[in-house]
Amino acid sequence: MDSSTIVMLAIFIPFIFAFLVPVASKLLKQRIGWFAVAIALLTLFLILKITPIIVHGDTIYGEIVWLPTAGLTFNVYADGLSVLIGLLASGIGVIIMTYSNGYMSTKEDLPRYYQYLLLFMGSMIGMVFSANTIQLFIFWELTSFTSFMLIGYWNDKPESIYGATKALVLTAIGGLVMLAGFLLLQVITGTFDIPTILHDESMIQAIHGHELFLITLVLIFIGAAAKSAQGPFYIWLPNAMEAPTPVSAFLHSATMVKAGIYLVARIHPLFAGTDAWFILVSGTGMITMVVAGFLAFRQTDIKAILAYSTISQLAYIMTMYGYTTYHEPGIGVAAATFHLVNHATFKASLFLVAGIVAHEAATRDIRKLGGLRKEMPLTFIIACIGAFAMAGLPPFNGFLSKEMFYESSLEMGVALGSPFTLLIPAIAVMGGVLTFAYSIKFIDGIFFGRRQTRGLPEHIHDPPAVMLIPAAFLAALVILFGLFPSIPVHAVVEPTTAGIIREDVELHIKMWHGFTTPLMMTIITFMIGLGVYTKYGAIAAWQDRFNLRYPKISVNYYYDLLVQNAQASARTISSITQPGTVKTYMSALILTVVVLVGIPIILLGADIIPQSLNFDIAVYEVLIMLFMVIAGIAAALLPAYLPAIIALSALGYLVSLLFIYLKAPDLALTQILVETLSTIIFLLVIVKMPQKFRESIPTTTLVRDLIIAGAVASTVFIILINATQGIIPPFESLSHYFIENSITLAGGRNVVNVIIVDFRGYDTLGEISVLCVAAFGVYNLIHSRGNKT
Amino acid sequence: MTTLITKTITKICLPLVILFSISLLLAGHNNPGGGFIGGVMFASIISLVYVVFGLRYTTAFFNPDWSRWLASGLALASVTAFAAIPAGHNFFRSAVEFIHLPVIGEIELVSAALFDVGVYFVVIGTLLFILKNVGEDT
Repeated sequence: MDSSTIVMLAIFIPFIFAFLVPVASKLLKQRIGWFAVAIALLTLFLILKITPIIVHGDTIYGEIVWLPTAGLTFNVYADGLSVLIGLLASGIGVIIMTYSNGYMSTKEDLPRYYQYLLLFMGSMIGMVFSANTIQLFIFWELTSFTSFMLIGYWNDKPESIYGATKALVLTAIGGLVMLAGFLLLQVITGTFDIPTILHDESMIQAIHGHELFLITLVLIFIGAAAKSAQGPFYIWLPNAMEAPTPVSAFLHSATMVKAGIYLVARIHPLFAGTDAWFILVSGTGMITMVVAGFLAFRQTDIKAILAYSTISQLAYIMTMYGYTTYHEPGIGVAAATFHLVNHATFKASLFLVAGIVAHEAATRDIRKLGGLRKEMPLTFIIACIGAFAMAGLPPFNGFLSKEMFYESSLEMGVALGSPFTLLIPAIAVMGGVLTFAYSIKFIDGIFFGRRQTRGLPEHIHDPPAVMLIPAAFLAALVILFGLFPSIPVHAVVEPTTAGIIREDVELHIKMWHGFTTPLMMTIITFMIGLGVYTKYGAIAAWQDRFNLRYPKISVNYYYDLLVQNAQASARTISSITQPGTVKTYMSALILTVVVLVGIPIILLGADIIPQSLNFDIAVYEVLIMLFMVIAGIAAALLPAYLPAIIALSALGYLVSLLFIYLKAPDLALTQILVETLSTIIFLLVIVKMPQKFRESIPTTTLVRDLIIAGAVASTVFIILINATQGIIPPFESLSHYFIENSITLAGGRNVVNVIIVDFRGYDTLGEISVLCVAAFGVYNLIHSRGNKT
Repeated sequence: MTTLITKTITKICLPLVILFSISLLLAGHNNPGGGFIGGVMFASIISLVYVVFGLRYTTAFFNPDWSRWLASGLALASVTAFAAIPAGHNFFRSAVEFIHLPVIGEIELVSAALFDVGVYFVVIGTLLFILKNVGEDT
C-alpha cells in the first residue's frame, strides 16, 4: 500500500469506527471498550508502519482531490513531528482505552464515551498530518469539540458543564484567532500548503521581512497558547479535570494540550531566529512555568496538582522551543522534543495513578489521603517512578530532559549576554524547584504520613490488572527511556528535530556526562526543592493572605465576569430580535426582501410602467386574473377561518390554471399538488387555533400592515413587469446557458429537472436537508407542548 | 367527506396515482416530472387516504414510519453526491451511461437520477411525517 494511503487510513479509521460504536455496542454490550482498544491498536499499527520511512529521513505527502475547480484538496503530510504526535495520540489512546475498561462503571453510557474518545483520536491524528492550514484548523476545532463533550461527559454535574464550557470558549476562541493568523500567512506566502512553505527558503525569508510578520506570529501563537493552556489561558485546564480521569490523562495531559506545542514546533522554521519569537514563546513559557508550578504546589486535590503541573511542564517545552538566536535558531528544539515524549509517559502514568487512588479510596483530597503505601504497594511503585521522573531524579527519563533543559537555558543565557546569562538559568531552576516540590508532595501526600480512617474505605487495595497494567506499562517506558534514551531519540526525536531545524542532527544523551554545570543546577534544585517543601505551611499561609487581599488578581475573576456579562447581553439582544411572534418575523423577512430587491431596481432606473409594455393579453387570461383578485380579497376579508382558507386555495388553483394556459405543465402540476397538501395541513392546524378570527385590530397596526403589504406588492409588480420585458439592463438571462448545455453536460432534456439534480445539485442537497430539519422542527413543536392544551 | 363515492374513488386512484408518481420520478430527466413533483404526488394520494378513511383506521394496517423515509432519502442523496469523489471526480459529478436492453431498447442511466430518487423519498417523508404528526395531535 502507498504510504500516503496509510496515513489517510490512520485518519479515517477512528472516525469511521467511531460511528459504528453504537452498532457494535449492541453486540458487545459492556465489552465495547475492547472494540475501541482494537481500533486504536489498528491506528497505532498503521502509524508505526510509516515510521521507518520517517526515521530514514524522508517525508510523506499525499492528496485526495475534493473540489479541484475551487482548489480544494484533502492532503496529508508526514514528517518526524507529525509522526511523533501521531504515535503519542494512538499509543496513549490504546493504553487509556484499555484502562477505561476498568475505570468506567458498566452503568455509564459507555458507547458515548468510547465514541468521543475515538473521534478525539481521529481528530488529533488528522490535525498532525494535515498538509494545509485550513484542514489543520478544522481538525484543531474538532479536538476542541470532542474535548468539550468529554469534559462534560457527566452532564448532570454543574461543575462538568462549567469546565466544559470554559475549555470550549477559550480553546475555540484561540482557534479562531489562529485561523486569522493562517489567513495572514496566506496573504504573505500566497498558499495554505504547509510543506510548500516549509521547503521553500525564499518564502521563509519573505515571512521574516514582511510587515505583517509580528501580527501573524502573535495571532497563531495565541491559538497555540490557548490550546496548551499557556499564559492567561491556563485557567481552563484545572476545570477540565471534571472529566473522567482517563480522559484527563489522555486529552489534558498527554495529547490534546500538546496540539499547541505541535503548532509552535510546526511554525518554528517560519518564525524562529527572531527576537519576537524568543520574547513571545519563551517569555510566555517561563512565566507560565513558574506561576503554574507554584499553583500546583498549593493544590490539595491530587488531580489538580497534576493539572497545574501539566501546565507548568508544557511551559517547559514551550520555553525550550522559544530559545532562539539569530545565528542558532533551534537551541532548545532537541531538548523540547525529548521532554515532550518524556512528559507524555510520566504524566499519563501519574494521571492513571490518580485515577486508581480516586477509584479505590473514593477521594482525591490529599488532606484525607495518606499512608497508602502498604495497602497499594504496586500503585505506590508506579507512582514513585512517575513522580521521580517528573521531579527530574536519575535514572528516569525526566532527569535527562531536565538536564537538557538546564543546558539549553545556560546556552541561551550566554548567547543573550548579561544580565540574561544568570537570569534565564535562574528562572529554569525556579521551575525545577517547584516541580520537585509538588512531585514530592504528590507521593508524600498519598502514600506516606498517617493513614486516615475517617472518610476513607476500611480496606484499600491495588486495582484490577486492567487498570494496573496500562499504568505499569507507562512506568516501564519511563525507566526504559531513562536507561536507553537512544531508543526514542533515534526513532522520533532526531527526525523531528531535523525536520524543525532543517539539518541532520545526531544526539548523544547519556545518564552520566561528567560533573557539569547542569548537574550542579540539578543538585541545587533538589536542595532548594526539599527546603521549599518543608516550608509548605508558611508559603500556603502567605498565599492565602495574598488572595484575600487582592481578589482581582486572578484570570478566573475576569473570565467569570466576561461570561456572565455575555449571557446577560445575549438575553437582552435576543429578547429584541426573537420576540416569538410569527408576524414580526414575517414582516422583517419580507421587508428585507423589499429593500434588498427594490433599491437596486430603482437604482438601475427601471420604469414603473415601461413604455414598450405589450398589452397583448387574451380574454381568458383577464378572466382568470379577475377571479384571482376576487379570491385574494375574499381571503383577506372573509370573517372565519374556513372560508378564508378555501378562498386562499381557490387563488392557488387559479394560478395553476394560468400556468396551464401559459404552457407550463410542470409548474401547473406542482402548483396543484402543493396547493392541495397545504390546504389539508392548513385545515388540520386551524382546528387547534383559537377561534377568535377577527379581533378588533388597532388602526395603527392596520395601517402598518397595509404599508408593508403595499410595499411588497409594488416591488414584486415592478420586478415582474420589467423582467418579463427584458429591460433590467445589466443582467443577461441565465436560462440560455442551461438550455444549451443540459443535454451535453448532464444528459437530460428536462431543463428544470436537470438544474435541480445536476447543475444546482448542491443547492438541492441543502434544500432537502432543510426539509428534514423542518419536519423534525414541526414534530418537536407539536410534541414539546406537553399536555397543557 | 367519507361517502361511499369518495372511498371507492380513492381505492381506485391509489394504485394508479402511485404508479403515476413513480413514472413522474423516472421520466423526470427528459420529460416533465422529477423527484420533487413525484414525491408530492405520492404524498397527496396518501394524504387523501388518510383524510377519506381516517388516520386511525388507516394506520391500523398501513403505518410506515415516515421519518425513516426522509432519513434514507437524505442518505441516498448524500451518497450519490459523494460517490464521485472515490471515482476521482468532482463532488457531485454525474455519470451518464447508455445501455441497450433487448426488448425495451436503449436506456439512459444517469447517476443524477439516483439523486432524484433521494429527493423523492425526502419529499414524501417530510410531507407525510408533518401531516401525520399534525393529524395525530387532535
